[in-house]
Amino acid sequence: MKNGQVKEPIHKKWIWIVLALITLGIVPWYFPAAATEPYILGFPLWAFISTIFSIILCGYLSWLCVNEWNIVEDQEEADKAKGDKG
Amino acid sequence: MNELAFAGTDGIIILSVFAIVMLLIGYLSGRGEKNIHESLSGYYLAGRNLGFIALFFTLYATQYSGNTIVGYAPTAYRTGFSWLQSISFMTIIIAIYLLFAPRLYVIAKKRNFVTPTDWIQHRFKSKAVTLLSIFLMLWGLGNYLLEQLVAIGQAVSGMTGGTIPYQIAVIVFVIVMLAYEWMGGMKAVAFTDVMQGIILMIGIVVFLIGGLYLAGGSFGDVTRYIAEMEPAKTAVPALDVNINWFSMLLLVGLGASIYPHAVQRIYSAQSEKTLKKSFSRMAWMPPITTGLVFLVGIIGIMLFPGLDKTGSEQLVGLMANEIAAINPFYYWVMIIFFGGIVAAIISTADSVLLSFSSMLSNDVYGKFINPGATEHKKVMVGKVGGIIAIVLLLWIAWNPPGTLYEIFVLKFELLVQVFPAFVLGLYWKRLSGKAVFWGMLAGALLAGLLTITGYKTIFGIHGGVIGLALNFLICVGGSLLAPAVSKNKVLEEDLTALNLKA
Repeated sequence: MKNGQVKEPIHKKWIWIVLALITLGIVPWYFPAAATEPYILGFPLWAFISTIFSIILCGYLSWLCVNEWNIVEDQEEADKAKGDKG
Repeated sequence: MNELAFAGTDGIIILSVFAIVMLLIGYLSGRGEKNIHESLSGYYLAGRNLGFIALFFTLYATQYSGNTIVGYAPTAYRTGFSWLQSISFMTIIIAIYLLFAPRLYVIAKKRNFVTPTDWIQHRFKSKAVTLLSIFLMLWGLGNYLLEQLVAIGQAVSGMTGGTIPYQIAVIVFVIVMLAYEWMGGMKAVAFTDVMQGIILMIGIVVFLIGGLYLAGGSFGDVTRYIAEMEPAKTAVPALDVNINWFSMLLLVGLGASIYPHAVQRIYSAQSEKTLKKSFSRMAWMPPITTGLVFLVGIIGIMLFPGLDKTGSEQLVGLMANEIAAINPFYYWVMIIFFGGIVAAIISTADSVLLSFSSMLSNDVYGKFINPGATEHKKVMVGKVGGIIAIVLLLWIAWNPPGTLYEIFVLKFELLVQVFPAFVLGLYWKRLSGKAVFWGMLAGALLAGLLTITGYKTIFGIHGGVIGLALNFLICVGGSLLAPAVSKNKVLEEDLTALNLKA
């Protein structure tokens, strides 16, 4: 086993705080009515910023799945390696 | 409204090819695997051995139905840029998975769970809770299936310009679906999902390119047009729209992640590594699926201005007609794309049906009617029960009741009420079965009542979310007043030590 550390997302507060912050960025509650202009790549300003946050959310969650979740992987992979040899 | 006359015979040819390929995949995945029909986990969970490709695509094709395209593009058309929410509410599902999937995967593997109910029963050991959650999940799944059946017919008859009538289309594709599912169970469902998912992905991209071409090639021009003609659709959303957006994030995130067929995909993963990798890729799918569909709807505002609600529902068909007229390449891609929509609906329907059958097999029959039956018999009961359910649903679809139609619309609202039992139960030892039961019942009743009486949302908050809040409140309050006292060693171990050794 290369890495004995068990990682379970629910135990890490920062994961959920960052998630809440990104969500607050996605929903456009904080824009004044004038935030339609300028248009960026055809998106009204508010929609553009909201989309950026949406994409940050995708990246963040994708990263979390791989890096902050590790419970039985080492055990499973070790068993698999044993099974392959035997 | 215009019929989609662009693809009569050609549409039939493509649909037939798709049907044959699906049957072939079903046959091949069932062939030589005796185990599939002899064991519950073999049939319903593909032997808990789905690798990355199959797991990823089955998650994808199950989560994104044909409705995602046919229904979401018109919504974007009607609401404008605030429909960007469809990207975030599909993404947030992965965040909710992170709340419970890591631990549930481990426990499910160790305790050999087949259905979501297995966990509920293992956790609460309460007949009342088990029965109520079976009821809510079957109801939600049944209605979800009903919606897919209706959608198959509309898509096929639309695509073939009415050459294949609605009802025949549904029957043919339902038989194809039942046949491959009968032969290969979850394995067939997952492998057909690979094909169905790929067609869907390619189709959406080509569709968007075609739409953009029709609109003159510049998305900026489209928005300028909208800003001038219908400024409300580009304006900063009002407060109630934003509240509704938050509510959607909660409802879809919590509801879609604990759909029984979604949970069973966690059980089916070959390993934690495969599961993580699949979720990690799934997190990127919303921008290139609902995101692109959103753009299609926005472009539609310029291409077909002024459609009313019913008219806008035909948006995808109208656009496909125009795109197909560009040149033969687009023509054929559009036919394949429409076939892809049908395939995507079927790929969702087959997963829902399989999950429905598994709950009949394992929960209704296996827990309450004949617990001593062999697994072969239980699998058989589920297969036959699934077919009976389909026949009943078709009957409802074709003879829609005049009144109380809303009870067939309730899906998320009911399903999501299982969430506290499911997820709080994983981490909070004091959570008691009694509190869960009353919370679930009160939440479901409140959510159901609000929806049936026409209060789908209150101040932008969905009835399902309000019911869920009540549900949580009762679960937590009740458990604090009278906590669960468990002397169950097995459960104690599951809630503290996480390893695979039973």
